[in-house]
Amino acid sequence: MPAQTSGANPELRRTVTPWGSFSWGYSDVGADIFVGLGLVLGAAAGASNVAFLFAGVVYVCIGLAYTELAATYPVAGGGQYFVMRGLGDVFGFLAGWAVLLDFTIDVTLFAWTSVDYTSQLVPALTNSSHPWLHFLVVLGLVLGLCALNVVGVRESTTFNGIVSALDVLSESAILCLGFLFAFHPQLLIHTMQFSWPSPYQLMLGTSLAIISFVGLESISQAAQETQRPASIIPRTSVALILTILIFALAYSNLALGMQPWHPIVNAAGHTMQFWQIFPNNPDNQGKAVALLAEQVPYYGAFAALYVPILGAVLLLISSNSGVFGSSRIAYAMSTSNLLPSIFQRVHAKFRTPMISIVFFSTIAIVELIFAAAPALFPAVAHLYSQFFRGENGLEFLADLYAFGAATSYSFVFLALIGLRLTDPLSPRKFKIPLNFPLQFRGERVEFPVIAVIGFLGIFSILMFTIRTHALGRIFGPSWLVVGFILYLIYRRHRRLPLLGSQPRNWRKAQKEILQRAGELELMDEYVANIKASEARRAGTSP
Amino acid sequence: MLLVRTLIAAAMIALGCIILSQMLRAAPAGGFAILPGVVLGVAMVALGAHRLMLILRVRRMP
Repeated sequence: MPAQTSGANPELRRTVTPWGSFSWGYSDVGADIFVGLGLVLGAAAGASNVAFLFAGVVYVCIGLAYTELAATYPVAGGGQYFVMRGLGDVFGFLAGWAVLLDFTIDVTLFAWTSVDYTSQLVPALTNSSHPWLHFLVVLGLVLGLCALNVVGVRESTTFNGIVSALDVLSESAILCLGFLFAFHPQLLIHTMQFSWPSPYQLMLGTSLAIISFVGLESISQAAQETQRPASIIPRTSVALILTILIFALAYSNLALGMQPWHPIVNAAGHTMQFWQIFPNNPDNQGKAVALLAEQVPYYGAFAALYVPILGAVLLLISSNSGVFGSSRIAYAMSTSNLLPSIFQRVHAKFRTPMISIVFFSTIAIVELIFAAAPALFPAVAHLYSQFFRGENGLEFLADLYAFGAATSYSFVFLALIGLRLTDPLSPRKFKIPLNFPLQFRGERVEFPVIAVIGFLGIFSILMFTIRTHALGRIFGPSWLVVGFILYLIYRRHRRLPLLGSQPRNWRKAQKEILQRAGELELMDEYVANIKASEARRAGTSP
Repeated sequence: MLLVRTLIAAAMIALGCIILSQMLRAAPAGGFAILPGVVLGVAMVALGAHRLMLILRVRRMP
């Protein structure tokens, strides 16, 4: 990302176009279906499309909330910044810390599945048959991305745009031809009626489905680098949200109702439906889109050659966004005194936040070791099967990913409600629909009903995650507790309020944010709103 | 380019309508099972309409 390095406060250049903004988000969120599809089919069986539907509806609410917040407060801090501003420092830290968990998991999970997709063409990389080679290649990718980010090489917006465009075209072709030649609505209905999972499996599938919709932080990151973000972000976000929702629903419906091009038989010689290759098979779960593309009549012969490569590249870009994003969030949290100032330090030569990058990459490697351990060491596999329902590496990473996402998104909904009540004067060029007006502290505010629905949805997914993920319910809350203890130690050391918030001049900050974003009309509107509000309070007409 | 985008948006709406009609036709036998498909159709129509609205806005610009 190009940065202006002159002056005391280096700022990001605002050069991202509408397509750049879309592709940035797409390369982050769009890659999730490559990971989520197989996991959800493995868990929710005949109700996989319902799991995606539930998570998808929640995701639409989250996407709309992020769009409104990113257009109103176009800063790179994302969810952490919105929560800090709406709910205070402690919740801002917890939301940011949960996002950091997601970003570190993002690095490992997407590097892992990138190797899984490659294994479709290079069978030696299959995890079950060559666990050590799989582990070493994933480790090499994580270390390589860490090194690239330290020296400041990052994929360009143009590269992101090309890969995203290719992927949208490819996925559209797979889905159109799949629905045209292989899809049977009666088979879908039959599968849903006769392979409906238990409530436990449905909860597990729904909590895994949310990982197909993670990465909305990229919307706010793009907002920081987009000219006139208040106008551009809503346009690109709505298209992004609907595109991702369509792909997730289309893939899950197609997978449940498709007649495979080449008959699939199990060990006993019985013909299987396509979705039946996923339960209890982590190798297949890690490369579901490639396997599905292969089964599309005629086109599958061609798709089998390129989809694994395209998937692996897209997943690697997403993995890289985890390395980059974690250092950026840590930087933003550090400037707000939520993390120590060491995370702001920039390398003298490369001008990159080297300490942040190395620190969070190290955490990603620790997570990789936890995920790979059962396959590498039989004793650990025995331990996992005794205490953690025998979760495999992919499930371990997905557990934590779902936990981090559900936690941070829950806070973002609360922050949206809080900011609507406490900051009604900031101009909102995009508002999520369904609001009802009320008076709050002498101001007319609009209460967002969708935020309440979204919060209930994401909170239920958080409960599903805690209920059904044996590892996630231990490691997820532990991550938050450890982080919170470190936060208290740091705040005490800096003599800052432990549970309260540091005094900040949000009005001044908002004017600066709008000015920097080039939203001068909105800044004027904001100033006028403040004056009118002050006049109302003084009892004079504005 | 604008023409291509318009055609894609129109195709998306048409596809969404086809999926919706297919799902509604399967409603008597499928019941609740058609819901994800219906949402898929609605989302496609919504995305196509959103794109068309943006194109119309661009056309109106001086």
